[in-house]
Amino acid sequence: MMSLLLVLSLLWPLGVAMLVAWQVYRAPAGRHDYFSWWWLSAAWPALLLAYGGEVQWTIDVWMLGGEWELNTLTRPWLAFTALLWSLAAVHARGYFAAEQSQAQSGDQAVQRRLARLSLLWPLALLGNVMLIIAQDIASFYLGFALMTFAAYALVVHSGTDKARLGAKAYIILAIVGEGLILGGFLWSAGEADTLTLQGVRESILVAEHGAWMAALLCLGFGVKAGVIGLHVWLPLAHPVAPAPASAVLSGTMIKAGLLGWISVLPLGEAGMSAPLTQLGQVMLVAGLAAAFLAAFYGVFQHHPKAVLAYSSISQMGMLTALVAMGLVAPDAWSILWPGVVLFAAHHALAKGTLFMGTSISEHMPRWSLALIWPLLALPGISLAGAIGAGMVTKWAVKSPLYEMEHDTLIKLLSWAAVGTAALVSVALWRQWQQRQPGGSNGWQWGAWLVGISAALITPLWLPLPAESITMPPLKEWLGILWPLSVGIALVATGRLLLRFINTAAPPAGDLWWLYAGVIAAGLGPVKRINRGCSELKTACVVSCRQAERSLMDALTRMLEAENWMRHHVSGLMMALALLLAVLLIWEGQR
Amino acid sequence: MIWRFGLFDGTFEPLASTHWALVAALGLPLLLGMLAARLPPRQAWPVLLASVPVLASGLMLLSAYDQAGPLRWQWDIAGIQLSLRLNGLSVLMLLMTQVIGVAAALYTPGYLRLSEPGPLSRWLWPLMGVVLSTLSLIWLATDLLTLYAALELMGLAAVGMLMLSAKASALVAGMRYLLLALVGSLTYLLGVALILGHWGRLDLPGLAEVVEPGPVAWFAAALIGAGLALKAALFPLHAWLTPVHESAWTPVSALHAALVVKASLFILLQLWSILLPDAFYAPRVIAWLGMLAIVWGGLLAWRTDSLKTLVASSTVAQLGYLMVVFPLLLGPDVAPLSRALAWDGFWLQLIGHAFAKAAMFMAAGNLMLATGESTLKGVAGTSRRMPLSLLVLGVAAVTLMGLPPSAGFTAKWLLLDAMVRSQQWWAIAALLIGSLLTAAYVFRLFRYSFYESAPHHHYQPLAPGMDLIALTLALAAFALGLLAHFPLTLLHGGGA
Amino acid sequence: MIAFFEAIAAFDVIEVLLALGLTGSALVCLFDRHLVRACYFFVFFAAAMTLAWWLLGAPWLAAAELGLGLGLTGPCFFYALGHVLPSASSSLERDTFSEPGSRVAMRVLLALAWFGMVGAAIRTVIADMAYSPLEHPLLLAGVVIAASALGAFALHRHLLRRLLAFNLLGSGVFMLLAGVAGTSAAAQAFISVGLVVAWLGTMLGALLIRRLLHLEGVEALGRDGNPKESAI
Repeated sequence: MMSLLLVLSLLWPLGVAMLVAWQVYRAPAGRHDYFSWWWLSAAWPALLLAYGGEVQWTIDVWMLGGEWELNTLTRPWLAFTALLWSLAAVHARGYFAAEQSQAQSGDQAVQRRLARLSLLWPLALLGNVMLIIAQDIASFYLGFALMTFAAYALVVHSGTDKARLGAKAYIILAIVGEGLILGGFLWSAGEADTLTLQGVRESILVAEHGAWMAALLCLGFGVKAGVIGLHVWLPLAHPVAPAPASAVLSGTMIKAGLLGWISVLPLGEAGMSAPLTQLGQVMLVAGLAAAFLAAFYGVFQHHPKAVLAYSSISQMGMLTALVAMGLVAPDAWSILWPGVVLFAAHHALAKGTLFMGTSISEHMPRWSLALIWPLLALPGISLAGAIGAGMVTKWAVKSPLYEMEHDTLIKLLSWAAVGTAALVSVALWRQWQQRQPGGSNGWQWGAWLVGISAALITPLWLPLPAESITMPPLKEWLGILWPLSVGIALVATGRLLLRFINTAAPPAGDLWWLYAGVIAAGLGPVKRINRGCSELKTACVVSCRQAERSLMDALTRMLEAENWMRHHVSGLMMALALLLAVLLIWEGQR
Repeated sequence: MIWRFGLFDGTFEPLASTHWALVAALGLPLLLGMLAARLPPRQAWPVLLASVPVLASGLMLLSAYDQAGPLRWQWDIAGIQLSLRLNGLSVLMLLMTQVIGVAAALYTPGYLRLSEPGPLSRWLWPLMGVVLSTLSLIWLATDLLTLYAALELMGLAAVGMLMLSAKASALVAGMRYLLLALVGSLTYLLGVALILGHWGRLDLPGLAEVVEPGPVAWFAAALIGAGLALKAALFPLHAWLTPVHESAWTPVSALHAALVVKASLFILLQLWSILLPDAFYAPRVIAWLGMLAIVWGGLLAWRTDSLKTLVASSTVAQLGYLMVVFPLLLGPDVAPLSRALAWDGFWLQLIGHAFAKAAMFMAAGNLMLATGESTLKGVAGTSRRMPLSLLVLGVAAVTLMGLPPSAGFTAKWLLLDAMVRSQQWWAIAALLIGSLLTAAYVFRLFRYSFYESAPHHHYQPLAPGMDLIALTLALAAFALGLLAHFPLTLLHGGGA
Repeated sequence: MIAFFEAIAAFDVIEVLLALGLTGSALVCLFDRHLVRACYFFVFFAAAMTLAWWLLGAPWLAAAELGLGLGLTGPCFFYALGHVLPSASSSLERDTFSEPGSRVAMRVLLALAWFGMVGAAIRTVIADMAYSPLEHPLLLAGVVIAASALGAFALHRHLLRRLLAFNLLGSGVFMLLAGVAGTSAAAQAFISVGLVVAWLGTMLGALLIRRLLHLEGVEALGRDGNPKESAI
């Protein structure tokens, strides 16, 4: 039964994609429903699978030998991933209702756009599911790559200039990341002669250059996870992507980078080498830096989705720091990891819901504002750790750190939470500024509402090991709650102070513009050389053609000697006879 | 060298059945040709029926040779010694002649029906018969008189055949060929006169015993060499060849390029091996000219615009390969192994080229017949409409280029081996350049055929089997490469 | 050479006269631009050849020459000229094709070289064979005729003149053959075959010439080696 479900969870999205393709080429475009029930159901088998229990599966015929497993780590991961994909799909049906009717009225550009999105959406989902359950390198990498490249369609969907820029940033960095991952995998797998992720972990632990392999993989997955420096695609891609696409991008796909780290790094293993610990420290610093800097940069953004994207970077920075603890302090990892998973799941749902919320605020349902705005704020407050699941999450992370006495880190994380609170409140404020009435679709707000409730009660439905998550004791509540109020207060005072200064928003994508400038400057000479080369090539071609023509002309003239020979055959025969006779006589006389 | 040609006494008396096979092999083509002149066959099947006894006679001679070894016939008519011999080489040549001759004859009815050639076509059959009969005689004859008579008859019949298309260009080219061939034979006759005057005998085995190097042998060799080189279209006396083929009928071209020019070469090599067993420079002159021939023929074929000129010029180049081998076959101080390899390679190349060239002429003829064009540009776009003809061209070209597994490859391999052993680097270079040039002109043809922009509306459908015959010949050239053991055994058994 | 002239002086006047007649008529036949006259001289040459064979004691050859050379080959030329069985196309009178001087010089040189070579070859053969000086004047005539006929063949452009040159070359070669090999059965066989072939070739050539005249006019007869030819 479980095996069937496993196979189904992979084949179902594939089947959906094929169905979409078949429909696009067969069905008349006018009546085509791009977001049918089949399409909505793509993630459901995977969701069922996550609640089915743990399972292990080995198939030798699959590529280099498939090793698929659903264990304590991947089960909750699959659960929140599949749930968010399902919700986002339902949301998408409402979100794209307008475009759908445009397509049905015969707009070919929209038809093409929707066909592309609805075809590649299930494929990205397939990749995401596969990379979660895969325990062998080939399947994992295949899933990762499939997800990465299929998601390009999600980002570029609207086809505007900004969308193209965002998609360009996304794909460039994705390719860089894929290259780094592939290099790391090949190196470590080749070193240990292994085909499984378990083997990679061991290889990194014992190999001489293990830290370098780990660094390669860290950077590669870091592109997806939005590590500082490689994060630039997030604030460029999120504002332009459709809300449901942003939700899965920010909710599940960047978590794939995190899962990649957890899968390949020997977290919590005994006998960690010094270079690996150093790597962990670097990651820790980078993560904290991301958490603070992103918050600082993000509050000045105008577009609510850009603000949310910076919030994602900030949150992922915190998660990076927590993962780094697995390298720096291996002993803590065994009690820390359920908190990390919960953090990831809660952030996924909360951030997904927040992104969906941006589409709600753009097309507000005809409800009372007093109802809508608290609902919009709820996931944000939870994310800041003040209520519901957020509070539990904070505690789940804090308590192991308390036990291992990492007080500084706890303080830093708390301050980072201030940043989160500030970002969330800025996002809400920007949404308020840019709100538009217009009535949203039932699918749209239905999925949103379910998302809010799911986010708030994350620990209740997430299949984590029993007893690994507890409610925080009352005396700790203050320590968990204060960042929210401080964050809101900071935003309010900052707003008051800056009221009279007309600040322009710093461009979203921060370092991207620096990179682009540097690379453009670096490409200048290359372009000149390139132009020189192409001129040289043209000149060569021209002269070669001339040479060829003159050679052929010379050859043709030379071949006219054939006529001469034809005319003089008998004379030549006489000469040949004489030549032979003279030669023979001369040779004979010697 | 002399024993390789089977020029010695003391062999078995042939059986009575062998006599009849000999008579059939020599006389039947002629008789059947006469018959066909009376009743021209409109279909291929009567030709097929008639060719059965011809081929049977060849096979009988083969089995006779297998059983009894080299055979010898001798007649004394009014004080003149006429003699024939049957050794491995001559059996091989005879079989090649019969197969290609039968293929050309089978091809003819369909060709004549489609090309509507006019009243002269009736003459094609007897002339073809004469050519085949005299060719068979040349492979067998071992006295100068028979060789002379057969050569002359074959030459006249070949000229007649080539001019049957009766276009003005064919007549000019044919007239030139006629005059040159006759003068070439007279030069040959002058050489023979010296031999006859000095040694007083005509039979080659006898001559082989009495000839000693001296001015008479040298003068005779020079005269005979020049005369036969003219008839064999050896460079630089080749220039009459291409225009002759330009407007000739396809089966005639196939026969002529494949067999007729080879006969003169055969006689030349045979006589020089008697007259010049140790000359150093004369075979080298031929070899140098051969290298030029390879390059020149290749260039001609490469730059030409006419399909038939391409195929005919390629003959010039391919004859060059044979000329290059002369020093290995005739020169002094050649190691026995090199000489044996060169001998095998020479004949394998000759036979492989005969099959491939006949196939190529037929395929080219098919293309020209179907499109009604005779230029390379005219056959543009035929790849889609006539894939089989192009396939034949390709298979034949593989042999000409000397790619494995064709007879051309085996032959060139043997020749290269012999040349490396005797360190004739120039010859090796010529061989390789020749292969490159062959590839160049073949692929030029193919490039044209794959143009899709051709404006042809009408393709004349071919008679059934016309492509098939050509394909069979081309595949035979292939098979000879794969089954080279059979011809090589016959060649080695030349005097055992 | 001196030995040759002494022999000529010493022996039969008829032979010498015959040799002179043969050589003279051959040269006229080869180098006269007036085609009809050249053909008449060819007939005269054939008659002289018949006489020569008779004198050499080869009556069969004389008969063959009479029949083939005089009786069949000669008329072939007149047919080619358009004098026998005249057809629609005009008859030939003169050869109007001219050759550049360098070519003429080259051919003369080649012919002289050939004369030397053939003469030397014959001498080497004669020196060894039984001495029979009777044939010497005719032998000399044969060498001269063969060399000049080959030179003329290589020189001329007009097809009829080339055909004539070929016939004379044939006769010269036969004469040499008879000269060095005597009139043995083998030599007679060779010469007979050669005569038949020469007749067949001439007949074919004459037919071709008529046909070409009919199709393309006189110009076609001198087209040999013209670059335009290959472009047809």
